Amino acid sequence: MVTQLNFIEGGLMKRALVLVLVLVFGYLLIGCAQRKVVQPQPSATSAETRAKAPEGKPEQKVPEEKITEQQIAKIETGEGEIPKYTEEKSIFDDIHFNFDKYDIRPDAKPILQSVADWLMKNKSADLLIEGHSDERGTNEYNLALGDRRAKSARDYLVALGIPSGRINVISYGEEKPLCTEKTEECWEKNRRAHFVAMMGKIK
Amino acid sequence: MTNSKERKAKSKEPRGSNNVICIVLITLCAMLFALRSSSVEAKVYIDIASPALKKLTIAVYDFGGLSGKQISDIIKDDLEFTGLFTYIDRSAYIEGLSQPFNPKNWTPLGVEIVVKGTLKEGKDLALPVSLFDVFEAKEIFKKEYKTGKELIRPLSHSVANDIYKALTGEAGIFRSRIAFVAEDGGTKDIYIMDWDGKRASKLGLKENLILSPHWSRDGTKLIYSAERNRQWGIYLVNFLNRAVKKVFASKGTNIAGDLSPDGNEFIFSSSREGSADLYTMNLKNNAITKLTSSQGIEVSPAISPDGKYIAFVSDRGGTPQIYKMGRNGSDVRRITFEGSYNTSPNWSPKGDKIVFSGRRNANQIFIINPDGTGLIQLTTQGNNEDPSFSPDGRFITFTSDRDGAKGIYIMRANGESQKRIMPRKMKAFYPRWSPN
Repeated sequence: MVTQLNFIEGGLMKRALVLVLVLVFGYLLIGCAQRKVVQPQPSATSAETRAKAPEGKPEQKVPEEKITEQQIAKIETGEGEIPKYTEEKSIFDDIHFNFDKYDIRPDAKPILQSVADWLMKNKSADLLIEGHSDERGTNEYNLALGDRRAKSARDYLVALGIPSGRINVISYGEEKPLCTEKTEECWEKNRRAHFVAMMGKIK
Repeated sequence: MTNSKERKAKSKEPRGSNNVICIVLITLCAMLFALRSSSVEAKVYIDIASPALKKLTIAVYDFGGLSGKQISDIIKDDLEFTGLFTYIDRSAYIEGLSQPFNPKNWTPLGVEIVVKGTLKEGKDLALPVSLFDVFEAKEIFKKEYKTGKELIRPLSHSVANDIYKALTGEAGIFRSRIAFVAEDGGTKDIYIMDWDGKRASKLGLKENLILSPHWSRDGTKLIYSAERNRQWGIYLVNFLNRAVKKVFASKGTNIAGDLSPDGNEFIFSSSREGSADLYTMNLKNNAITKLTSSQGIEVSPAISPDGKYIAFVSDRGGTPQIYKMGRNGSDVRRITFEGSYNTSPNWSPKGDKIVFSGRRNANQIFIINPDGTGLIQLTTQGNNEDPSFSPDGRFITFTSDRDGAKGIYIMRANGESQKRIMPRKMKAFYPRWSPN
């Protein structure tokens, strides 16, 4: 609040009026001044509101609060459990893609054939295809690109006779690089679809 | 936005109406006395909308005590970063802190505005602050601040906000915060820090992977995407009850975009039907509406501040570019034509600009008008991504790897004063400026 104290000087009105007004005014000033001391707010619950007590008022000390893991876990129970598998990560080679592309390159075809052959022999196993991108560009777009790469590989395997129900896909975009140098060789290693054999559901 | 926040803050004040009556009566008294009572709110010292802006020269005292210098430095840093003020160093001041304000002490230094106050450090902190106009030789603002000792930084930012408001007529953003994602011992978490990079604290989510958080317009919620059990799900953090709720998950890649201005729905990208398309979901009845049906990739939807348009990324033309469409998916128009890789659109708070990341050898930050005109490049060094406007539209936060380690930066919306605001050791992504 802006309080201007200097306008009592030089009054030109009748004395009586001035006196009355000065008294009223003084009373008001004192009243207002007393109200400057404001009680602390009731404790806010969030990180954001805690940090943002209204300006000029005492900001009440509130203990550190976090969104706890327990609360998150509680919320998670409604979620349908996804079957767990033992994962065999290193059976197959990765297939690679050109920058900002998701079409299957000729050098990927023999690898996809070997994946299909293995799935034909191992009927109890499922397959997870992870799609990845290099670090260049935006994570969200790269995530969509990884999704397209994984699905290109899946569609190729389906065309080779693997039921689509045996294939799961997930994209990690640029979030899980194999190689972290800033070279084209390294980027190409990261632009990949990775195959994970899933060996029988665990209850 | 900020105005409504202030109104809310005032309405929470139980004695607010009494104070209003006080002010009204005092004003009436003043008028009866027929004296010159200056109208403080009317004078704008800096017209921040003016293209030919002259900086205001300001002096900010060390408020004394153990923390007075720290508070004063924070205020000085806040005001200086706006580019609207020239700060005169304390060593030049002629007038002692305890001496009464005298314009004759300031005119020779070229100082136009003086900030004075004496910190009282008891159990809590109390700081009366006065703002003086040198030219008119009068006090133009006065307020007493009180807080606990651990909240020195918020207190200082509040003082800076009030000074900024008194001099520009606009709300300051010095109490705003930035949400971002960072790695924390193998897991990822959302952190929230002050706009100057200080007081970062994490929410405790412990996700494997987290993508960009998006604030609700009232700043009480964040929506984000995370990968759990080989599924990308969309989660809503509510700060008011400290709960995290899963709002959507399916096979495929699901990436949250903005919440609508009314907070009733959110927009997202999902590849659940094959290729990544855009959808809206109503948070009240869980109804999902599909907005795009292209064979290409559609991601990163951003809702305009008036709620009427969606800016997004699509590769339907062969390369990722920024497009704009109506909120219901109608009238799709391409906005970017320069460069072969443009992503991460975000609206300015007024809706008159879109900021995005475009590749020109490396990724750079650009702004453009929503009709595709007026393209301006703001960054040149390193890779710069994930831009987000401050609530007043005068600043932009983004990530950059220009010094070798990816981190969060801020700059003015014209590209000036680019600076890292957090330590190099913290790997951080997706900064999003809070709306208030």
